[in-house]
Amino acid sequence: MGIIIPVKVIVDGDCLGEVLLVDRRISFYGEVDPVNGVIRGVNESVKGKALIFRGGRGSTVGSYIIYGLKYYGNSPSCMIVSDAEPIIITGAVLADTPLFVALDYDELVSLVKGKPGGLHARHKRGEKHVELEEK
Amino acid sequence: MYLTRKQEKVLMGEEGPAKARALEIIVRVGESLGADRLVSIRHAHVSGISYLNIGEPGLKLLEELADTGGRAEVYTTVNPSCIDLSGESLIIDNSVADKQLRINKALEKMGFHPTYTCIPYLYRPPSISEALAWGESNAVVMANSYYGARTNREGGPLALAAALTGYTYHAGLQLIENRTARVKVRVGFEPGEGDYGLIGLWLGENIEDIPVLEFPKPPSYYGLKLLFAASAATGSHGLIVVEDITPRNTYRVEVEDRVTLEKSMLEKYQYKPGRGESILGYLGCPHLHPGELYQLAGMIDSYERVRSGNALLLSIPLDYYYTMKGEIAILRRRGVDIAFGTCPIVSRLRGEYDVVLTNSGKAWFYLQKLHGFKVAIASPREIVEAVMEK
Repeated sequence: MGIIIPVKVIVDGDCLGEVLLVDRRISFYGEVDPVNGVIRGVNESVKGKALIFRGGRGSTVGSYIIYGLKYYGNSPSCMIVSDAEPIIITGAVLADTPLFVALDYDELVSLVKGKPGGLHARHKRGEKHVELEEK
Repeated sequence: MYLTRKQEKVLMGEEGPAKARALEIIVRVGESLGADRLVSIRHAHVSGISYLNIGEPGLKLLEELADTGGRAEVYTTVNPSCIDLSGESLIIDNSVADKQLRINKALEKMGFHPTYTCIPYLYRPPSISEALAWGESNAVVMANSYYGARTNREGGPLALAAALTGYTYHAGLQLIENRTARVKVRVGFEPGEGDYGLIGLWLGENIEDIPVLEFPKPPSYYGLKLLFAASAATGSHGLIVVEDITPRNTYRVEVEDRVTLEKSMLEKYQYKPGRGESILGYLGCPHLHPGELYQLAGMIDSYERVRSGNALLLSIPLDYYYTMKGEIAILRRRGVDIAFGTCPIVSRLRGEYDVVLTNSGKAWFYLQKLHGFKVAIASPREIVEAVMEK
């Protein structure tokens, strides 16, 4: 049994993926290239990952970029955020990418940082939590 | 959130996949903003349709929605796209016309009116207190502040979802209690035509709360149009109360702070082009109202032509091509460049100029930010004088 992270489910769906932590707000428009899935400054693809980030910011075109990730086959497995604002929610619905708000985001971040070996995240439709397991 | 049985059925997909997905967007966003229910809207205005902004993902999504039965549920207008629809402008770069025309085709297939303009209130002036879902911040402020209607500053995709469902969420500026002005701004001078954009820039940068503006004498409609657009560009205002203009009972006032705006506080936005600099004059941000175009044609009639090395660009809604032929002929004969259904903020430009001279605070802000231009603000008369010869 892994670590249970309680979440509020915004867009439900199954999630299984390696955790990728980008502990800041992301403007998907301008910072994420949907064609290769890479976040600028992080240089890692979000494809198949459980992407943990603070939330969205910037242009509302960001919603189309989240949809674009799906179109090009680069969707994250799910997104876990501190607060869900309209850009991210709209994108998640359009792309059918599961979206969760971590009830204690800061604790989640320190937990992930404390496991440099990496973690996997798992969520099944209907559950109220995400489960983290060491790789 | 409370949903009616009809709304539940839409969400379950009984009226097709496009509408179900659109309603889910509104419900999920509404829930996150604390909405208790949905409201029926009378007019959606969809922004974010320029191929240069939304790119391939936006194009694919719009085509997918159009092909899976997405149709406008209410009167819907659309923002400017990134190409000049007359194909005759020498300044607007039409190189992505193929892609943009595919977007336009998808929008029109969904039953959206091909207005391609940022002044949707020209096509359907909002009524007092009616609910709207508008993207395009300048139009949002105009709707709330001049017409007394109710709309939040919706993002493009949300306004699209509202168009396809006829609903938006009941939160934010849809509620009277969130339409309370708390900062009284007294304008301490009588603004000239070139000052409204400056006042708007200052307001957006310096006042966070909903302001209530007091002018020494009633401001003009065209002046407010420029003021609202500029403040929505530098700030996040959705409503700016203007005394004796904003319809009563569409807002509340509980003043906690007072500021007096003096003309000297606007100097930082001003810049005078030097001698010999090549100037691109630009009017039409927001798009020119028919009255503004008419006045301008009258003013320009007494000039011979645009001075060589300079240019004068106007951006206007597509349908003036048919409805204002006379004015357009006068302007074109004198070398004025006219762009239909687009504007330099959402498009790419051809040609190089040392400085852009405009009456728009919004254009001042975005042309520097997006295109790296040096930009100065002046009145239409000063602009015409600077770029044309008799």
